Order: sequence, then C-alpha cells, then structure tokens
Amino acid sequence: MLTLTSPVETPLHRLPAGAKLAALAVFTLVLFRLSSPLPLAGAAALVAALHLPWGRTFALHALRMLRPLWPFVAVVALWHLWTRDLHGGAVILLRMVAAVAAANLVTMTTRLSDMLAVFETLARPLSPILPPRRLALAFALVIRFIPTLSDRMALLAQASRARSPRRPGWRLAVPATLAALDGADQAAEALRARGGSD
Amino acid sequence: MGGITLQDAGYSAGGKVILSGLSLHLEEPRIGIVGRNGSGKTTLLRLIAGLVAPSAGTVRVDGINPFADRKGALSRLGILFQNPEHQILFPTVEEELAFGLRQQGMPQRQALEAARAALAAEGRGHWAKAPVSTLSGGQKHWLCLQAVLLMAPATILLDEPFAGLDLPSIARVSRRLAALPQRLVTISHDTAAVAGADRVIWLEAGRIRTDGPPAEVLPGFTAEMARIGEADADADLAG
Repeated sequence: MLTLTSPVETPLHRLPAGAKLAALAVFTLVLFRLSSPLPLAGAAALVAALHLPWGRTFALHALRMLRPLWPFVAVVALWHLWTRDLHGGAVILLRMVAAVAAANLVTMTTRLSDMLAVFETLARPLSPILPPRRLALAFALVIRFIPTLSDRMALLAQASRARSPRRPGWRLAVPATLAALDGADQAAEALRARGGSD
Repeated sequence: MGGITLQDAGYSAGGKVILSGLSLHLEEPRIGIVGRNGSGKTTLLRLIAGLVAPSAGTVRVDGINPFADRKGALSRLGILFQNPEHQILFPTVEEELAFGLRQQGMPQRQALEAARAALAAEGRGHWAKAPVSTLSGGQKHWLCLQAVLLMAPATILLDEPFAGLDLPSIARVSRRLAALPQRLVTISHDTAAVAGADRVIWLEAGRIRTDGPPAEVLPGFTAEMARIGEADADADLAG
C-alpha cells in the first residue's frame, strides 16, 4: 500500500475517494457475477484502458505493482492446464487480474488521508465501541511505522552482517520484536507529550 | 504560582534511583541543564513534561500537575525529543503538524489549514503532503520543533536540540530558538548550548551539583569534565 502511490498526478486523483471505492466495490461484485471468459476479458480490458490515458510512466508503474500477483497466476494457470479446464482457468485468471488491477488503480490515485476519511465515515455506526478518531489514529500509526520497522530490520541485518559471516535470518526475530516494542513505547510517550488520543 | 516547581522530587525505575531530592523553582526565560551521560537530564525533562510521574515529591507547572492534568499541560509545556524518530507519529508532514492542534481542540480541517499556513510561512508549503520517511535527519528535527511551536506552549523543553545537526543547521536552529518568546529549558552536555542562559543547573548522579548563572556553574563543570576525562570516564553504569 505504501509503494502504491502513483508517480504522476492523474485526473483520477481528483475524483472523490468514496465514489472510487464504491465503483470498485460494484465492479468487483460484477466480476464475480460474470462466469464466461469473454465478458471478463472485456472487464479486464476496461481496467487496462483506464490506465492508458495517463501516460507511459503511470501504466508501467501500475504494471509493476501487479508483480506480486504473477506467482498466483502461474500456479492457477498450471493447475488448469493440468486439469485441462481452460475455460475455468481463464475465468479465474481474468477475474483475479482485473480485480487486483482495479483495486490498485483506486489505491494509486487516492490520497491516503482521503481514503482514511471514507473509512472514518463508514465506521461511524461503530462509534460507541470504536471511536472514529481512534480508528483514524490507528491507521495513521500503522502507515507511519511500517517503513520505520522495515528500516529498523534493515539496520539490524546490516549490524549483523558487519560482525558475522552468516546470514542473519531468523536470528533477527527477537531483536526486531524488541525494537518494535521499544518503538511502541516511544510512540506512546510521543502521543502523551502532545495530548494522547482523545 | 507561575513557573515550574519541583519539591523534593525523585524518580526511580526498576529499583534504580535516577533522580532524587530535587527542589527547584524555574521561572527564568532561558534555563540550561548540563550533566554527563546518565546523570538524569532526560529523565528530569520527562518528569517536568509530565510524561512520567515522580516516584517521590511533587512537580507543578503554574500550579498544575503536568502528569495528571494533560489538558492543562499541553498549553504550558512542549517537549522536543532528542531523537525526532521517537517524536514523529504521522505518515505525512501536515498530519504531524496538525495533530497537536487537534489535541488542543481545533477541528481537523482548521488544524490542517493552520499546518499548511505554518509551512507556507517558512517557505516549505510543498512539504505538506510529503511522507515523513523521505525527510532527512535535519528536516525531521525541524518538523518536530515546528509541531511543538504550533501548539504555542508557554515553556518548551529541549532535549539536546543540536545533537546530530550539521553546522549550518545548528546556526539556524539556535537563531530560531533565541528569537522565541517562550521559556526554554535546554538540556545538553555541551556548554556552548547553554552559555547564554539566565540560569544553569548542573545535574550529577540524579542530584543538583550546582545551580546559578552560567558564569558560576560552567567553569566548574568544564573543569570537572576535563578532570574525569583524564581518568576512565565511562566505566560506571547509569543509575
């Protein structure tokens, strides 16, 4: 989600986040109602077409963002080749790629704060048990600290490499966990210094 | 009573005494606290800021208890942590700046507008949406100071405000700090950072060693540091 921000600003960025998320929900629902390859290919083509007008950089970035999907595509394709169910395989693959690409497109073109505002609105009915501002703060903290934690992991790995010929591997699990707990303490103190979460 | 008052205040953690028997009344505009590593400087600052409760005695800021009355503490005290990484809570610059304002009761929209206005006033309007992870160390430090200043506390507590900054940044930050109307309590192991203060407190092993104008405190501190430096300076564990 963190690297999913678009390198270029597109007109899609200006659409309201709620509308984009609603359209995504409807689109995904439709994908699951379609059960033959041809309309699904049409849906996938529609998603692809939505990427193209914003330039080469944007489209290539979006394509790169689909990279985590390819192993699944390979497994599903092999399985359906093995079972000789080409129709079923095509349906699943088209549906999967179209759904993920559409979701990525929305994420790439929506600012995080807008996305959080939508969640805050949607979570309003839950407010007696889950205050929306607390929820928003939790989102923000997660987004703030994921890159920090991965930096911390990288530093631990470097510290280990500096003094050990072996790959660090699981040996970093304990120090990384402790670092995360330390970070949580520090964040709690920083919250307290500026008024806590209420 | 105005100002910061400690009465026989002490702090222990995990069975170790970190601060003990501190009685101070701080009301000067510029106060420096010096001491060696592990002398309890940072703990004293956290005690005054109300981040930790004293395990003995009392801490009062303008008569309120900064640990119990957080709302009252926010308008009176701001603290700049030594490590900006420990202070920054939000993924983007504007959210980080707006957070404190929102805690002081400003609606989110206004808080964000105030944050953007503050950035624009410093010629950094383009920072608003920037992810905090892309800022350099000095830029993070600037952001933390700005976040504290936006909350307009009467006193700002600074924990080694020049640590890790390059020389131009030190010059810029000290100029900035010198111009502030607020009361500043600066802790440092570097005498240059507190030489211009109205009052300097030398903390040694969790107690006050000397307390007075810099001209009275700093020569003794410098001489003692040099003397210890001749011997093995760093064998004792803190606490």
